[in-house]
Amino acid sequence: MLVRIWALAKKEFLHLRHDWWLPAFMLIGGSMELLLVGWATSRPITNLPLRVLDHDRSPASRRLIMALENTGTFELDGFASNMASLRDSLDRGEINAAVIIPPDYAKQLASSIGRPTVAVILNGAESIPASEALRAVEGVVTHLGQRVALQRLRREPERFAGFDPSLRVWFNESLSKALYTTPAELGLMLEFTVLLFAALAFSRERELGTLEQLLVMPFSSAELIIGKAIPALVVGFTDFWIMLAMVHAVFDVPLRGSLLLLFVLAFLYVLVELSKGLVLSVISRTQHQAFLLVMLVGMADFMFTGYAVPVEGMPRALQFLANFVPAHHWLTILRGILLKSAGLDVLWSHVLALLLLGAVVMTFSWRFVRRALD
Amino acid sequence: MDAQRPAILAQDLVKRFGDFTAVNGVSFEVQPGQIFGFLGPNGAGKTTTIRMILGLLKPTAGRAEVLGLPVAQAAAQIRPRVGYMSQRFSLYNDLTVRQNLTFFGRAYGLSDAELAERMRQALDMAGLAGREHVRTKDLSGGWRQRLALSAAVLHRPQVLFLDEPTAGVDPVSRRAFWDMLYSLAAEGVTVLVTTHYMDEAEHCQRLAFIQRGRLTACGSPEEIKRSLMPGPVLELAPADAGAALQALRRAQQAGRLPPAEIELYGSRLHVVAPEAHRLRRPIARALKAAGLDPGPMDLIEPSLEDVFIASMR
Ligand SMILES: Nc1ncnc2c1ncn2[C@@H]1O[C@H](COP(=O)(O)OP(=O)(O)O)[C@@H](O)[C@H]1O
Ligand SMILES: [Mg+2]
Repeated sequence: MLVRIWALAKKEFLHLRHDWWLPAFMLIGGSMELLLVGWATSRPITNLPLRVLDHDRSPASRRLIMALENTGTFELDGFASNMASLRDSLDRGEINAAVIIPPDYAKQLASSIGRPTVAVILNGAESIPASEALRAVEGVVTHLGQRVALQRLRREPERFAGFDPSLRVWFNESLSKALYTTPAELGLMLEFTVLLFAALAFSRERELGTLEQLLVMPFSSAELIIGKAIPALVVGFTDFWIMLAMVHAVFDVPLRGSLLLLFVLAFLYVLVELSKGLVLSVISRTQHQAFLLVMLVGMADFMFTGYAVPVEGMPRALQFLANFVPAHHWLTILRGILLKSAGLDVLWSHVLALLLLGAVVMTFSWRFVRRALD
Repeated sequence: MDAQRPAILAQDLVKRFGDFTAVNGVSFEVQPGQIFGFLGPNGAGKTTTIRMILGLLKPTAGRAEVLGLPVAQAAAQIRPRVGYMSQRFSLYNDLTVRQNLTFFGRAYGLSDAELAERMRQALDMAGLAGREHVRTKDLSGGWRQRLALSAAVLHRPQVLFLDEPTAGVDPVSRRAFWDMLYSLAAEGVTVLVTTHYMDEAEHCQRLAFIQRGRLTACGSPEEIKRSLMPGPVLELAPADAGAALQALRRAQQAGRLPPAEIELYGSRLHVVAPEAHRLRRPIARALKAAGLDPGPMDLIEPSLEDVFIASMR
């Protein structure tokens, strides 16, 4: 039995050596994507082009513009002469934000009953820069508002001690998006790699016409499954650790928790994805079909990795559905172990869910694939 | 092995795909050490029958035995004792000759020593000694088929299933392939082979004709000829065989010629009918009426191809 499994696994590795570009593509492509995404999301958004239509042209309005520039979020792109040109540059996407200061801005600011206003227009089509811009504007305006209020109360703003919240962000102190996105990306790459290699396992032989040969050989269906699973496992796992090392080195994604626990749970997760891949593999007639199915399944799972939208922010129904998606639990576990040094005591519910889902998926897959092969 | 027991037994095998019946009540026996030819046009059900006998496909009805063991129950005992070359390529193109053979050997549990010995024999048999490290895809069709056969018999199977093993292979390679088959049969291996080539069919000890899922004839080439083709065939060698064929078919339609199978056979025409010699005169008349020279006419022994074509009608 072991001899036959090994013979099959060895043959699979020979195919891999000849088709080296596929694992290489998965690894290099995955790493590149990881680097790009990590790099793009790890940097704060700065220097958004800002144009100002200043009807007031007072020292007060200049202070406002300077305050906005000083946030670092904006870079003054110039002054507009009228509303039409401002609208035009927004339409063309030349600028992300526009500030319109009314003619009586300084007067309203100085008057004890005045209501100074400014209009800010943000380019909501690019929602992430827009929300960043909004935060910066709010910060500036709140600060200004406090100063105005204190002045009107005839207090020295510098000597006033107000509510001073002590805000601390845990686990991701710099609120770096990279710490959130790269583990997601990493978990996803592991899923895609394992799914793809598993999905090609039998579909490839079927397409090439060698599956029948394999089936008349004295392999039991269990031996076929195990022999085919080993290479997919090795490739997926190798990929995972290489990429983990990379994000650790490049993006300072910490490895705070137990690597042993991570290893065991990653293995469990890989087995689950492998089982899914093998099912795709026996229902596909060609490699092409298998590939498309992997994309479909992968994309569905992708939604629940919290990569695009955090699962907690999803509609109730989808949140409920997420409980049945192994990738969701796996990413919670991965983030927990990497960023929070969480152990089984914290993660047990997700580990248990992964175990249960895994048991169901693996049992189904085992039966289904064996039946298809017999 | 019990000499009385057939090496392969098919009993009323039926396979339906939806409401299409691909194999419809096929029964035959193959005795140990025989080369059994399975003939039929494309889509007749040859591959489907083989797949049922190998246990790759569940029959809708009927049963099969290999080496006296029921396929449905004893697949695990049968597999190590049979070899199979599927209709499509059965080797891995991206592996080398040696890697392919190694995989086959290991899959059948050969030890290192056995594998080394059999590898040498297989390479000799396929004529591939010295080319072990060539990728299989770089071999020409004939070499690949010989390698596939060597791989299929690496574990010394008692029964060998070959599905159109020589399709698309040049005549010289086909000859070499059949020489390999003869020596295997001489060693007592039972061979079931499907083929398109009638000259190959003549090499088989027993034949079965299958057509639209049904066996139309079964027996030795001589028996089949005798049963399906009582009497000789009239062979014509007209100057223009194509024109002559058309003239004769027209004459048949006009009722001036009794019914008979007339087929182009190279530059000659074969006329197949129960009493073909009686057709000499009407044929000559019909051809002359069309302004054609009938040329010489001879009564000859029917070839399998004549029989095959006659059985198709
Ligand atoms: N899996 C299948 N599903 C549906 N029809 C099939 C299947 N396999 C074979 N057939 C049909 O059964 C008939 C016999 O096919 P096959 O046994 O391959 O013929 P042969 O090998 O004699 O050329 C063909 O018409 C083919 O289209
Ligand atoms: Mg066929």
